[in-house]
Amino acid sequence: MKNELEKEEKLKMSKPKISEKKQLPEGGIVDCPKTEQEKMTTGGWRILRSVIDEEKCTKCRVCWISCPDAAINIDEKGNMKTNLKYCKGCGICATVCPVGAIKRVPELDFDEVIVYRELPY
Amino acid sequence: MKGEKKFLAGLAAVAEAAKLADVDVISSFPIRPYTGLMVDLSQKVANGELDAEFIHADGEHAQLSICHGASAAGARTMTGSSGVGVTYAFETYSPISGGRCPVQMVIANRTLDPPGDFGSEHSDVLCARDQGWIMGWAETPQEAFDNTLIYYRLGEDPRVSLPQFNCQDGYFVSHIPGEVVIPEKSLVDEFLPPYKPAKPLDPQKPYGHGPQIYSDQGPILQLQRAILMDKAKEIIPEVLDSFNKIFGRKYPSYIEDYNPNDADVCLFINGAHSQTARYAIANLKKQGVNLALCKLRFVRPWTTDEIAEVLSHYKVVGVVETNNSFGISREAGVFTPEVAATLYNLPEKKRPILISFMAGLGGEAIRLDDFYFMAKKLTDIADRKKIKKPVYWIGFEEE
Repeated sequence: MKNELEKEEKLKMSKPKISEKKQLPEGGIVDCPKTEQEKMTTGGWRILRSVIDEEKCTKCRVCWISCPDAAINIDEKGNMKTNLKYCKGCGICATVCPVGAIKRVPELDFDEVIVYRELPY
Repeated sequence: MKGEKKFLAGLAAVAEAAKLADVDVISSFPIRPYTGLMVDLSQKVANGELDAEFIHADGEHAQLSICHGASAAGARTMTGSSGVGVTYAFETYSPISGGRCPVQMVIANRTLDPPGDFGSEHSDVLCARDQGWIMGWAETPQEAFDNTLIYYRLGEDPRVSLPQFNCQDGYFVSHIPGEVVIPEKSLVDEFLPPYKPAKPLDPQKPYGHGPQIYSDQGPILQLQRAILMDKAKEIIPEVLDSFNKIFGRKYPSYIEDYNPNDADVCLFINGAHSQTARYAIANLKKQGVNLALCKLRFVRPWTTDEIAEVLSHYKVVGVVETNNSFGISREAGVFTPEVAATLYNLPEKKRPILISFMAGLGGEAIRLDDFYFMAKKLTDIADRKKIKKPVYWIGFEEE
């Protein structure tokens, strides 16, 4: 029976292989320090940009720990810096800041373009 | 099989297996019939028999989320639910399997609402068949015990790393006791090594789960998940061989071809009702009717090649649907289209005739008489080589 079936070319299930060049980390699980995804820059979603007043800032880091996208980094001097490539402009940082050092300014008030992505069409 | 013999219901047997498997984290939320497992596990933890974290969640969604996190951190986790509880947790299923977290969820089937029906029907967990979880049913409390260990080993294998639905029919298996042989702990340890995840969550060496991706990365990650199911398919025989060798059992890998009387018609069945079907087959033999039984051991991964091979030996296949899918193709349950698609892989001459029986819905027992009716319809078709009706609703049909 088995041989007969093989003669008649029974359909067999199989799947293509993913080439090494195309392969991504299994399950999308990535090492934490490399979380900047060039293909998924979310800065373009922002309407209001958070601007930190360094004179008012007490470096308490409440904004740093509250940012849902880990888009606030601490520079060598200990100052809070917004990563504008990924900041979606949710404004949580401005709300939680205990000294009111973060202001939200309309994105169109700025001249420079932070995120620019070539459209595929 | 050596070991201590106990008289246990299906969920109590799973609790015994969880104890031997040294489960680390258990999350619970009551819904019957699953509650049976919760009771037994919480007693074991309270008595100090099982060293596990027992977390009582505020709902099924939280239950699964607790296990998702615990599993990502490297714990062996167990949770479970029934009926509407299974569907309440639906959002979490794809992230858990996509994140390679081998959570085990014990399902004691229950009909979905409305109305509030406690009876066993497979529709609840079959909704989640496309979420990348390993899924299969136990026929007896002993099989429920064995499946718990088999699924942990299969799911936690680093080549697979997938969560598992360890299903059993509510009440028919979950609350009707049967003989269960509990093996020595040393044998279980030999079969089931401790869980070692490839990338456990650890503050010293952090990993990121579930990042945002751009859509052109989607197909790659989806193909990875599809290949994972194929890997599970490959590994099943290896796991079951090892299980059969260590515990002295005779489980077939994918599908059980039970054909003691050399019949050419068979029932394609899943879960507890195959017990009644076995009695019916023995009784029918006395009346001169030959009937066979093909019992599915794994619903996911669906082993197309192997199922097609087994079914190609029969002239007529009757799918017993213990679930309902409203408006599905062929207008029966979930399994009929799957079996039909599987048979389509066979050359036309080898393709058996396919019909369906809607039976045991809402938890009604499928009685011996119902199986005699099915056998009569199947043998009629085998003689006439023609179908009158593709779907029979058991209990509503005139002779």
